[in-house]
Amino acid sequence: MIQGRAESRIKDTEKIRLVQKGKMDLTFLSLVIVLLIIGLVMLFSASYAYAYTVYGDSYKFISKQLAFAVAGVVIMYIVSKIDYHIYRKFAWILYIISVILLIVVLLLPPLREGFDYKRWIVIGPINFQPSEIAKFSIVLLFSHLISLNYRQMERFSFGILFLGMLLLLVCGLVVVETHLSATLLIFAIGVCLMIVGGIKLRYVSLGLLGGIGLGAAAILSGIVDYGSSRIQYWLNPWAAPRGEGYQTIQSLLSIGSGGFLGRGLGQSRQKYLWVPEPHNDFIFAIVCEELGFIGALVIILLFCMLIWRGFVIAMRAPDKFGALLAVGLTFQVGIQTALNIMVVTNTIPNTGISLPFFSYGGTALLILLAEMGIILSISRSCALQKA
Amino acid sequence: MAKGPTKSMWMRMLTIMLALVVGTFCVSATRLAKIMLVDSDFYQQKASEQQLYDTELSPTRGNIYDRNMNVLATSATVWTAYITPNDLKKITNQSEREAVINLIADNVSRILEIEREKVIECCNKSSAYVILKKRVEKPQADELRRFVSENSLGYLIGLDESSKRYYPNENLASVLLGFVGDDNQGLSGLEAYYESELKGIPGRVVAAKNARGMDMPFSYEKMIDAKPGNSLVLTIDKYIQHVADKLLEQAVIDNKVAERGVCIIMNVNTGEILAMSIKGDFNPNEPFAISESDAKLLEGLEGDERINKLSELRNKQWRNKAVSDPYEPGSVFKVITLSAALEEGLTSFDKHYNCPGYIVVAGQRYSCHKRTGHGGQTLIESFQNSCNPVFISLGQLLGVKTFSRYFDAFGLSQKTAIDLPGEAAPMYHKEENMGPTELASTSFGQTFKVTPIQLITAISAAVNGGYLVQPHVVQQIIDSNNNIVKTVENVRKRQVISSETSTKMRHLMEKVVDGGGGKNAYVLGYRIGGKTGTSQKVDKMNQEKQGNLYISSFCGVAPMDDPQIAVLIVLDEPKGDAYYGGMVAAPVGGQIFKEILPYLGYQPQYSEEELQKLAIKTPDVVGKSVSTAENAIKSLGLNVKIVGKGETVLKQNPAPNLSIHKNGIVVLYTDSTEVNTVTVPKLTGLTIAGVNTQAAKAGINVEFAGPSLTDSGVLSYKQSIPEGTTVEAGTTVTVYFRSEDTIE
Repeated sequence: MIQGRAESRIKDTEKIRLVQKGKMDLTFLSLVIVLLIIGLVMLFSASYAYAYTVYGDSYKFISKQLAFAVAGVVIMYIVSKIDYHIYRKFAWILYIISVILLIVVLLLPPLREGFDYKRWIVIGPINFQPSEIAKFSIVLLFSHLISLNYRQMERFSFGILFLGMLLLLVCGLVVVETHLSATLLIFAIGVCLMIVGGIKLRYVSLGLLGGIGLGAAAILSGIVDYGSSRIQYWLNPWAAPRGEGYQTIQSLLSIGSGGFLGRGLGQSRQKYLWVPEPHNDFIFAIVCEELGFIGALVIILLFCMLIWRGFVIAMRAPDKFGALLAVGLTFQVGIQTALNIMVVTNTIPNTGISLPFFSYGGTALLILLAEMGIILSISRSCALQKA
Repeated sequence: MAKGPTKSMWMRMLTIMLALVVGTFCVSATRLAKIMLVDSDFYQQKASEQQLYDTELSPTRGNIYDRNMNVLATSATVWTAYITPNDLKKITNQSEREAVINLIADNVSRILEIEREKVIECCNKSSAYVILKKRVEKPQADELRRFVSENSLGYLIGLDESSKRYYPNENLASVLLGFVGDDNQGLSGLEAYYESELKGIPGRVVAAKNARGMDMPFSYEKMIDAKPGNSLVLTIDKYIQHVADKLLEQAVIDNKVAERGVCIIMNVNTGEILAMSIKGDFNPNEPFAISESDAKLLEGLEGDERINKLSELRNKQWRNKAVSDPYEPGSVFKVITLSAALEEGLTSFDKHYNCPGYIVVAGQRYSCHKRTGHGGQTLIESFQNSCNPVFISLGQLLGVKTFSRYFDAFGLSQKTAIDLPGEAAPMYHKEENMGPTELASTSFGQTFKVTPIQLITAISAAVNGGYLVQPHVVQQIIDSNNNIVKTVENVRKRQVISSETSTKMRHLMEKVVDGGGGKNAYVLGYRIGGKTGTSQKVDKMNQEKQGNLYISSFCGVAPMDDPQIAVLIVLDEPKGDAYYGGMVAAPVGGQIFKEILPYLGYQPQYSEEELQKLAIKTPDVVGKSVSTAENAIKSLGLNVKIVGKGETVLKQNPAPNLSIHKNGIVVLYTDSTEVNTVTVPKLTGLTIAGVNTQAAKAGINVEFAGPSLTDSGVLSYKQSIPEGTTVEAGTTVTVYFRSEDTIE
C-alpha cells in the first residue's frame, strides 16, 4: 500500500536522467583513491608472508585484490555517471533478493570443513557474503521509503513498526548465520537512516534500551552463545593465549610492537603467521606495527575525512533520496571502520568485521567501490543543482 | 515543499556525522595511544619473546698438541640431522603422507644407522624440529644429502653443522687428555682442566621465526661469530708417551697387574711431563666403552648392580692414578730419607752399619725384608740392599722435627698443583702426631701415602741439584692462528738440598742400578740410577681380609752424570710370578730408557767390556761365492749355516746390516731362495750361556735385553717369539733377562 503510493509519486517529482552530467566531488574521490592505494599497499605487505607460506605464492592475495580494485575503480566511475534515482526501481527487488539469499546461504553446506558458520555463497570464481548485499539493500530500501514517506516518519506504524520489521527480518536472518558483526552493522545503518529520516527521538532512546535488553536476552537465552565466550576472552584474552584469546593477543602484540613510528613498511614480524590471516579482519594490526601510532592516526584521519565528505555530499544532495542514500552508505563505511579498529584494539569483543579498502575480499571491495560510485553520482547532482 | 533534506534531517545528519567522526577518532586514538605508546614496551617484549630465538653457534674447540706439534686431540666437522615433522603434516592426503614417511623411514634408518621405528616416531611428533641423529660424519651426511635432494625432501630433512672431538692416536695418553661429552664439553683430564681455554666463545644467531617455527627472512638475523678455542701445546712428547704406553701396557699384562699401572716420565730440571701413562685406559673416541676384561666383570650382573658396577669400571678407566691415587711408596722413599740424612751430615758413603735382620723401635719390632739380616755394610751397600733397619736408624737420627721439615720441603705434604684435574692430597703423619713408630715406618716409605706425581717430583729434587720443580703438562697456550697466548714458565719452587748432597744422591742411585736392587733397569751403554720399591697394601689387606697385596715401583733417573729424565713405574697389585719392584717394575724402566735415551739424543757410551758384547752388523754377502761369504762372516765372530750345494750365495738371513749378537748365526742359501725353517725353542729360565746354546742349536739369533750381562745371576724370563713357533732360520728372537736376586 505504502509502496504503491510511493511509486506514483516518483513519476510526479523526479525525472530520471540516465547519465549524470555534473562534476563529481574531487575531495571525496581523492580520499577514496588514497585509501584504496594505501589499503592495497598494506594488503600486500600484510599478506605476502602468509601467502607464501600457505600457498607458496607471495602475490596470491594482492594480485587478485589489485584486479578487483582496478575493476572496482572502473565500476565506481561508471556508477558515478549513472543517475542514482534509477535504483529506486530496484529497492524492493533487491531487498527481496537479499532475504532469499540470506535464506539460501543457510541451506548451503558450510564453505570449509570445520567452520560451523554459513556466510558465503560461492558461484564459480565469485564468492560473496549475502550480508554484504543485504547491507546495501537496507540502505537503498530505507532511503527509498523514507524519502517518499518522510512526513509519516513520526508515525509509529510507519517510522518504527514498518521499517523496524523490514530491518529486523534481515537482521534476524543474519543473526541465524551467527554473523554478529554484520547484524550489528545492518541494524546500525537501518537505525541511522530512520533517525535521519525523522523518527521521534524518544523512540530512538526507547529503541536503544530495547536493543540492549534484546541483546542481553539473546545472549542469555543462548541464541548467540558463541558470543558470550567471546566476551569472556575479550575481557581477558590472556586466559587462553593459545585458544580463543590467541587472535586478540597476537593483534595486540602487533599493534604494541609498532610504537610511535612503527617498524617500517614491510617490517612487521607479526605477519609471519603470528596474526592469523593477517590480510583479513586484523590487517589494521599489521598497519599499526609497520606504520606506528602516527601512521595509524593518519589512516583514521583519512577515514574521518571520508565520512565528513560523505555527509557533506548528503547534506548538499538535491533530494531526500540522495541525501539518505549518501548518509546510509557513508555511515556504513564509517561504522564498519570504527568497529573494525575497535575489534582489532580489543575495545569491543572480536566479531569478525573487515576494514574497508584494506581487508582482503574482491567482491566486498567491488561492492564498496560501486557504493562510493553512488555517492559520487549524488555529488554530481549537487554540483548540477548548484549550477 | 523542499526537495532536498529538511532542516531536521540536516541537523540529525550533522549530529550523526560528528558523533561518528569524533567518536571513532577519539576512541581509536585513545585506545591506540594506550597500546602503542603507553604499553608498547610490554607488547614489544611479549612479541619478541615469541618471535626471536637464539641459536648458539658452537665454537671450534681448540686442539691439543704434543711438544712437537703432533696433534693429540682435534675437532672435525660433523652434522646434526633433523626433520621438521610439522611440514610433513602439510601433506593432507593420508596415503601420500604415509608413503613419504615410509620412504624417509627406510632410507634414513639405513643411512644414519638408527632404528626405523625411531624415525617414524620422529616423523609423527608434532614439532617444528626433531633431531634424528647427532654427530653424523661426512660420508653419512653426504649420502643423506643425496637422498634428500633426489627425493626433493629438502623441506623436511636438513643437516646442521657441528663438531666432534677426534683423538687420532686413540688410546695414546688417553687418561691424561681426557674426553668430551655430547656437547663437546671437557669431562675429564686436560679436556676438563683447560675447558675454559679450549672451548672458545660461542657465537649467537638471533633470528626471528614465524608462528610455525621457521626462520623469517634473514634481514632479521643478527650474527655474532663464534670465537674458536685456544689450543694446548703439551710438554708431552708423543714418541716418549708411545713408548711409555707400550711398555707399561706390556708390563701390566705380563705381571697380571690387577689395579692398573702408572708410568710418569718427567724432565727433572724443568718439571715438564714428557709422558704420563695409565694402563688400562680407554679410547677417548669411545670413552664409555669398557675393555673386554672389564666386560667380563659385568657378566651375570643385572639392574642397579650392573649399572653401579659399569659406572665404577668407567670411572676407574678414566681415573688418573698418577695424580688422583695416593699410595705407599715403600723403599723408593728411602731416597728422601737418605737425602735428608746426607744434607744434615748424619751419614756418609763409607759409614758402616750392621743389620741383624730387625730393629726394635719403642717396643715394636721392625723386620728387614732379609730376615737373616744384611750384616755389616757400608751406607752405599745398605742403600743397594734397601735395608730397612738402617733407614729407620737414619730417621731416628733426623728426629721427627727435622724429618718432617724435609718431608714438607720435598713437597710431600702438599699437592703439586700440576695442571690436571682431580689431584689428591697426600695422607701422612703430621709433625705433631708423629711418634717414634710413625717416624720409623715413614723412614722406609710405609704408613703414609703420596701420589706418584708427588713422588717423582721429590725424587727429581734429590738428583737435579736439589730443586723442587713445578710439574706441569702444558707448556704453551696458542690461539687459533697459532699466536702464543700464554707460555708456561718452568718454575723451581725452592732448593731442598744442596747440590753437593744431590751429587751424592746421584752416585748412590746409580749404584742401585749398577749392582744393587735396581739392576734390572740397567741399559748397556747408559748411566742409569734409580730405586725400587715394594709396599704392602696393608689397609686394603685388612679391610678386605685379603692375603698379600703389593704395589711395586721403580723410579729411575738418567743420565746420571747430568740427570735429565726421571721415570716412575708403579704397578698396583701385580699378581704374576714376581711382585718385587726390582723384578717387575725396574725392567720396564730399563726398557723405557733404552728406547727414549737415543731418541733424546744421548748416544750410548760403552766400556771396553760392554763393547765385547755388542751386537755385530751382518755383512752383505749375497752374490758372493760361498767360501768368501763364509770367511767374511766368521771373521766377525759369527757362525754360518749353509743351505744347499750351490757356489754363490743367493740369499742371506738375517739380511745385511742387521745387528745380531756375538756367536749369532747367518744362514746362507745357495741352491734356491726357498726358506729354511726352524722351530723356536724354549728360551726362558736359562742363563745367558744356556740361551746361546739353545739358539745355536736351533739355528736362530738372539738379542739380549735386560740388566748388565756381566751379572752371573741373570735368568731369561721372556722371549719375543713364543716357543714352538716356526720361523725362518736365522731369525732374531729377543730374550729378556732379569736378576732374580734383587729384592727391593
